[in-house]
Amino acid sequence: MLTVQNLHKSYQVGKTEYEVLKGVSFQIEKGEFVAVMGPSGSGKTTLLNCISCYIPADSGSIRLDGTQIARLDEDALADVRNRKLGFVFQDFLLLDGLTVRQNILLPAIIGGSVSSAEENRADRLCEVFGICAIRDKYPAEISGGEKQRTAVARALINQPLLILADEPTGNLDSKSSRAVIHSFEQAKTALGATIFMVTHDSFAASFCDRVIILRDGLVWRTLTRGETQRAAFQDRLLDAVREMGKE
Amino acid sequence: MKQFSEVYSHLRRANKKQYALLAGCCFFSVLLITAYVCMMRSPTILNVLPEGGDSRKQVMMIFVLAVIGCGAFTTYAAGLFFRQKSRETGIFLALGAKRGQLKKELMRELALLALVSCGAGALLGGPLAWGLWQIFRVLVVDTEQMSLTFDPKAYGLAAAFSGFVIAVLFFLGSRSIRKTNIMDIVQEARKSEPIRDVPRWCGPVGIGLLAAGGFLGYIMPSVFILVLHWYPPEGLTAVFYLPALAGLYMILLHTVVNGWHRSRHRYRDLIATSMMKFQGRQTVNNMLVMSVLIAGAYFAGFYTPMLGTGAMMSCDSRPVDYAYHYRADQNLPSEQEVRAMAQEYGVTITSWTEIPMARLAVDGYERVETQGPVGITWEEEYREILCSDLFLSESSYNALTGEQLDLLPGRICGIMDATGDGRGIFGGEATLVTNYLTGESYPVTPVETRKHDILFGRFVVDDADYARMTAGLPDSWRETMVFFDVADCEESYDFAKALFNRIVDASGPEVAVVDSWDPVIRDRDMAEKGSYWPEVESFSYDQRNSSYFRLYWQYMPQFRVLDKADFVRTLAVFLILFIFIAIICFAAVIVIAFTRCMTIALTNRQVYEDMRKLGAPNAYLYSSIRGQVSRVFLVPALTGTGLIYGFYAMIMYFNDNRLTLQELAGMGVCLALVAAVSALLYGVYRLTLRSVCRALKISASR
Repeated sequence: MLTVQNLHKSYQVGKTEYEVLKGVSFQIEKGEFVAVMGPSGSGKTTLLNCISCYIPADSGSIRLDGTQIARLDEDALADVRNRKLGFVFQDFLLLDGLTVRQNILLPAIIGGSVSSAEENRADRLCEVFGICAIRDKYPAEISGGEKQRTAVARALINQPLLILADEPTGNLDSKSSRAVIHSFEQAKTALGATIFMVTHDSFAASFCDRVIILRDGLVWRTLTRGETQRAAFQDRLLDAVREMGKE
Repeated sequence: MKQFSEVYSHLRRANKKQYALLAGCCFFSVLLITAYVCMMRSPTILNVLPEGGDSRKQVMMIFVLAVIGCGAFTTYAAGLFFRQKSRETGIFLALGAKRGQLKKELMRELALLALVSCGAGALLGGPLAWGLWQIFRVLVVDTEQMSLTFDPKAYGLAAAFSGFVIAVLFFLGSRSIRKTNIMDIVQEARKSEPIRDVPRWCGPVGIGLLAAGGFLGYIMPSVFILVLHWYPPEGLTAVFYLPALAGLYMILLHTVVNGWHRSRHRYRDLIATSMMKFQGRQTVNNMLVMSVLIAGAYFAGFYTPMLGTGAMMSCDSRPVDYAYHYRADQNLPSEQEVRAMAQEYGVTITSWTEIPMARLAVDGYERVETQGPVGITWEEEYREILCSDLFLSESSYNALTGEQLDLLPGRICGIMDATGDGRGIFGGEATLVTNYLTGESYPVTPVETRKHDILFGRFVVDDADYARMTAGLPDSWRETMVFFDVADCEESYDFAKALFNRIVDASGPEVAVVDSWDPVIRDRDMAEKGSYWPEVESFSYDQRNSSYFRLYWQYMPQFRVLDKADFVRTLAVFLILFIFIAIICFAAVIVIAFTRCMTIALTNRQVYEDMRKLGAPNAYLYSSIRGQVSRVFLVPALTGTGLIYGFYAMIMYFNDNRLTLQELAGMGVCLALVAAVSALLYGVYRLTLRSVCRALKISASR
């Protein structure tokens, strides 16, 4: 599904060059829910932005469904973002002038005209994520959790291969965070979505199948949940983080 | 909503305030510039403002300022619009929209917005100018000269400005889509406008540069002409004003970023100061444009009070109520006829003095201009017969003035004006006098000049010399000067008007000449060049009430009551034009200030919301927003006003290295105008503050 190999990325600040990603490699399979954790400056968001092709990587390869996406021209890349990727941002990035339902339909509208199939799918997503009651409201009229669930529904409207989520619970209280994570689980189980989430929240990460921990631009450790209970998996994650802090 | 274009139009409706703000800015810019250009290019105005004259240059200079101001302001408004829109653009791109797709929609939208706003502005600019002019005609003064006509070509300039506005919109729109990094676009709406640290010396150095630029810009043309004998291109002399502009920018930057004194309430004012600082670049740019426009508005606005006060005081200080002169070959009314006319109007003539004058040639230095590779240069060339002037005998002079001037034979005394302003026109010195018709020349020695406003430009010689020098001159080279007073001058307007008409009616076509007409120069020019410029334009006695006739007829009588009462009528077009320009510039300032303040409200809404959540009381929020809004109004108002007032004072002072009573009085009236305009701006400030408070949901009281 997604293969990242030996990814390098550095930033130039004044005369100093900061190497943020120093050769990151991993793979995500279809239907997996994977999180990336790590301390500030470890390269989590940079990694996500490289995969989204919002910023170009210096070297390495990003292969989505067998296609080297970094080599695509701009229009082809736009198609990939529209049809094969779904995005969930920390601060939602909903358009204030559109209703919840219109926001959900936006990627489909961008991709071409909207038929009744897309409209039905939007309504179903509203049902799945429990936002039917607010679907005609504007973002300013709903809560943070509802905004983020709307954003998740929007990410799924074009049935993408992969959802990329950047700190989706970063701006939310614990109740809303739980609702958003629940919506990711729903997306995975009910809709078969593949999700790649950047987070610093061990609680959110504990719902994932696998957690990649980054440190100083490299994959430090990968933890797989397997059959472990969520709470136990969160403890393992916290232990790993503590261990990383000691080193 | 199934198509992308429907999303776009839906969002347009949702964000109509942003669109209205941009459309309003474009509309106002084009409206004001069109109104200005319609007036500037109107045949009504062009017929009155002499070609190549200072008035036309001033009108053009303020027009350039207005164009720069409105252009910068529109560019700013467009930049702000696209910055706010960039979030929307970024989200579309992040969700997989193609740039071409976005560009198509945006360009369609911009075309509609630009066409409607600029079209409406261009369409209504003419009616606005016409409407204002008619209001002036009804409320202030109406003369036959003020019938306003427009030149269709003026719309060419208006269209050019509209074209610029549209080009700016399309360029910035296209650039906002072209930006490659989506994350930058997504985050752009939340970016502040940081400015680098500004050292504290920036303020004092700015003041120095401002003063130096103003002084250099004013003085350098004279240096070029008088020291280097070179007429530089106007663009070059304008360059010397640039340090003033840089200085102004530094002053505003220092004011916004550092402030002029360290506040005692540093922490209380922290929010307001920091907000201004981090929206620094645009705030300073706006303030600069406003300062320049305020300066331009006052420059135009001061024209009327300076001219009016000077003219009124000059009329009042005249030593005699009625004065006129005429060529001896003209059949003008005699003393008896004038007295009879006065009686008819119930006016009592209390004194009458009538003396002869004669026109004689004098020597002097002529400026001979040469067109060279660097422009026109000039050299002085002595001519024994340079031009002609009117001469009086010393007894005639004494009879008119009541003085006891006693000149020795061979001496010559020039008469200057009381203020000394006319030194550039008449030096008051000659060393050789020639009877132009007999060819007899008489060497003379100049003595200390005398001062007399009405006799300005004449020479006085010893009685015997006068008789000798003027012997053999025909009546066409002789003149009569009449001075008389009346019992109640202020009540003699009808008589003055009738006498003026009688004098004009009695004057023949041979004396229908401008004041600079000179038979000696005419002969020389006709011989050397084949033409004489004062005769190119014909004078018509039918136009006796026009400003051109009243200002430039060589034999225009000087009747105190007539000149004072008809001052506004005579100069109506000049005065109203400059008032019009001031109104246009102030309107632009008000629109810019209001827009900037509303922008502060829109961009800082979240900050105020956060402060409220942190427990800030209404009084604190009100004080914080008032501090910012007042600075947007106060700083440019103080800077622009101080700048132009200082510049005006400098011009007045360097005219003759002193400030005359008329000039001081004029500056006093200008101060009153400043007070009135400041009161108006304060009113606009209060209204703006109220609107900003409403937008931020802050109660507009402590």
